[in-house]
Amino acid sequence: MHSNKGRWIWGCAAALASVVLFPPPVSGQKAGPPSLFHYRLKNGLNVILSEDFSLPVVSVAVAYDAGSTHEPQGKTGMAAVMENLMFSGSANVAPRQHFNYINRVGGTFNALLMEDRTVFYQTVPSNRLSLVLWLESDRMRFLEIGGRAFEDARTAILEDLRDRRSGDPYFDSARAFDQLLYSDFAQSHSLYGLEGDVRGLTLDDLRAFYAAHYGPNNGVLCITGNFDRFKAQELISQYFETLPRGGDAAPAAEPLALARKQVIKSFVAGSYLSPAFHLGFRLTAPRSADFYTLTILDYILLRGRSSRITRRLLNPEDKIAVQLSGGIEKRRDRSVYKIFVQANTDDMADRCQSALFTELDRLKSSPLSEDVLGRYKAMFKQDFLGRMSTSVERALFLTDFFLSLGDFREFGLELDKYLSVTPADIVGIVARYFSPENSIVLNVRGK
Amino acid sequence: MKLRAAMSIGGLALFLAAPFLAGQQERFRKTPPPPEPLQQELGLPILAPPTVLSNGLRVSVAYRENAPFTGIELLVNAGESVSPDAAPGLATIVASLFGRGTQGRSAAEIEEIVESLGGTLFVTVQQDYVRISFHVLQESLDRALDLLAQMLLQPQFRDREIANVRRMITSDLQEKEATPEFVAKRQIFRLLFKGYPYEKFASSRDLRRDWTSREILDFFDRYYRPNNTHLIITGNLSLSQATRKISHVLNTWAPREIPGPPRTPVRPPDRDRVCLVDLPQARDASTIFVGTAFPVPDPADRFALAVLNQVLGGSLSSRLLMNLRESKEYANYAFSEVDVFRLGGLLFVRARVLPDKVLPALQEIRKEIRALATTRPALPAEIEPAKTYLLGNFPLGLERFEQFTARMADIIALGGGEELWNGYYGRVMLVDADRVLDAAQRYFLPLPFIAVIAGDRGSLTGQLAALEAYDIYDSQGQFLSTWTKDKKGALHEAGGMRPELQRRPGPR
Repeated sequence: MHSNKGRWIWGCAAALASVVLFPPPVSGQKAGPPSLFHYRLKNGLNVILSEDFSLPVVSVAVAYDAGSTHEPQGKTGMAAVMENLMFSGSANVAPRQHFNYINRVGGTFNALLMEDRTVFYQTVPSNRLSLVLWLESDRMRFLEIGGRAFEDARTAILEDLRDRRSGDPYFDSARAFDQLLYSDFAQSHSLYGLEGDVRGLTLDDLRAFYAAHYGPNNGVLCITGNFDRFKAQELISQYFETLPRGGDAAPAAEPLALARKQVIKSFVAGSYLSPAFHLGFRLTAPRSADFYTLTILDYILLRGRSSRITRRLLNPEDKIAVQLSGGIEKRRDRSVYKIFVQANTDDMADRCQSALFTELDRLKSSPLSEDVLGRYKAMFKQDFLGRMSTSVERALFLTDFFLSLGDFREFGLELDKYLSVTPADIVGIVARYFSPENSIVLNVRGK
Repeated sequence: MKLRAAMSIGGLALFLAAPFLAGQQERFRKTPPPPEPLQQELGLPILAPPTVLSNGLRVSVAYRENAPFTGIELLVNAGESVSPDAAPGLATIVASLFGRGTQGRSAAEIEEIVESLGGTLFVTVQQDYVRISFHVLQESLDRALDLLAQMLLQPQFRDREIANVRRMITSDLQEKEATPEFVAKRQIFRLLFKGYPYEKFASSRDLRRDWTSREILDFFDRYYRPNNTHLIITGNLSLSQATRKISHVLNTWAPREIPGPPRTPVRPPDRDRVCLVDLPQARDASTIFVGTAFPVPDPADRFALAVLNQVLGGSLSSRLLMNLRESKEYANYAFSEVDVFRLGGLLFVRARVLPDKVLPALQEIRKEIRALATTRPALPAEIEPAKTYLLGNFPLGLERFEQFTARMADIIALGGGEELWNGYYGRVMLVDADRVLDAAQRYFLPLPFIAVIAGDRGSLTGQLAALEAYDIYDSQGQFLSTWTKDKKGALHEAGGMRPELQRRPGPR
């Protein structure tokens, strides 16, 4: 299956269990846009390959269906501890040697803990692809979760929690806001867990979490950059094909219902704090039809120096806010829009809130011109293409796309879907999702 | 054909699975796989000599077929080293104001236009030059060049923007000054480059001065001229296309005689010195910088220096880290860096050490540096991993479009060429133990080193009593006093001229 759209040409192999159907090789390929192939191993591991020969560099990302939303009540923090444990050694890789293996060859690595997944990724020179696959396969099947490593990982997460709390005076109010914004415990608890829960975790909890979530059938392996896909396929077969399946993936959560009545609550902090508020709106599922317009709207509201809310609240001549942040928070099956504003006084905080709703109203009553909308779309396009410009970011992007949609049939059309948003779409989307009735506000005041 | 391939893969999988199914691990899992041969060709666009337009503007193009962006890098020889001696910081202020107003457009309007081009505009001020990086979507190049021409030909420096930039720089400095690493690095730059143009780069207070729009315009008018500038375009266009477009918008940009650039080559410090920057807040750990300066290294020596730096302190298995952190447990970290400028080079070690281990750590750092040139030269077993790291890491640093264009522009700005670009792999591979030893002896011996300790004076006085002499500075880098030992070995506060005024560059 091939599609040809714009500057990207994407080849997409059918997803067939354990049978790999690649198009005939293109001999001597050294330039051209990245390719894209997807297949699935018998054990359920999804494999995404995207070749790009511009530099002798290759990135490998492995994503697992294992985030904080997979933690039951009383056992929060398991995903964070597990992320840490994945570097603590496996049958053939000594503790903390994963990092050394990658560093010695000039590579870089990192991990990304999210609410609905954990992603491990590394970039190395092209001639070391097999090293990374060896490392990833070893910890996918043979991770050694020993007492010492477990204690170290748990201590690291507890310290991290303490650092976050002491470094961010609004940490607790943000957690309280999540409980208002999301309707269930799985979605609303802290990404790093609750301190008491983390303390209570046992070695058996983590072993069970690993067995349930870190099997190949709960994973996506994505390789991008300068590699030969046939050689890569052989290596993947060698290192991953024989790994047994893990536990079954967790069922998808129910979609988030829009709020029907504005919720306004107060949060009184235990110490002095500048007045602030969290404002949120429940949105549709990521990559649904509305999501493309919502993404462009995010640029209009908060991205770049000329975005509407940034200009209104942080205008140097009439700066009414001290701090402003926010944007779309996206999980696999749901998304919300969050805005956080900090002001100097209670009055200023109220002014900010009212200015914010005025700006949203203005978007409905005075539609943007095509020119102005074009500016925001150009910013989006820059970011979109920028995200595809390095092998590691492309790996993360492709992984995210696959986890959101389950295949790549629509991938070639992706950019155009964003760029075809019209001023009327923006008016409609603001009316649908950014009404006061669908808003949730948490006003924060200090002692 | 496909079916046969699928069957053979299936068969292979079953064969590989057999030991696993029997409860054993396959043998290939026991050890890391060997590397494939390294791709020899980087395939980067050639760094060809520039085309010079009639007004003196040098133009280069790096062709990248698949890049969705076009990068415009403007190298202006107006780095901090050309700030007037009486006005350090002026070059930085002028560069920071670039693009913040033209005769027809405000800073906010320019921001909006840049965003509408899907673009970014960043200015980087170095010692020797200013790099203006203007990156836009490929289809926006013509509009970007129009805007660039307006910013160059019709700049306007409004008081409001000057105040905004000043406020921004001040707040940035305040934030940095809270970190001992910044304070120590600034101080070692000041001491190593005292009396040289690069000293101005490490200024701080002067950046907060009230500059007038006249001073700024005069400086801009003097240095932002085509015959003082190199324009590099990266993207999907040819040199002739680029030259035509650039000539079209910048043909009225008039050349002017440019004041001669600083030429005094950097020399090493004349003696070992230890300086303490008193930071009472740094009670838990002290930050040490140990460094020396040297004349511009020969091009061939740069690669040996890069390998040498890896062995000394460029990686997690380097000698400094193994000694100071893993073996002696003096430090949280200890790394080294080599920098090269137009007038000289610089080696420095930075380490964060326990307050009661400052002096032993200093001694170990000096010992490790000298050992590389004398008793313990780098071994092949250290050199090969260092080369592996450098070769592997080089292309990683070129992946992002901004990194690619910046790296290329910096090479051009410092007078480098293909040897640092497409030739990088070959040059690094040629480095061997003899070349590394030769570089260590030529650049590390018999150079004296300056050591800067950013830490709490109260906690360190006892240890510093073992030194023959040391100077004390406040957190802003202002000299406070010199302490020297008398014949009986007691330390006394010495008077006289400030130590940094005792040395001036010149023939020796």
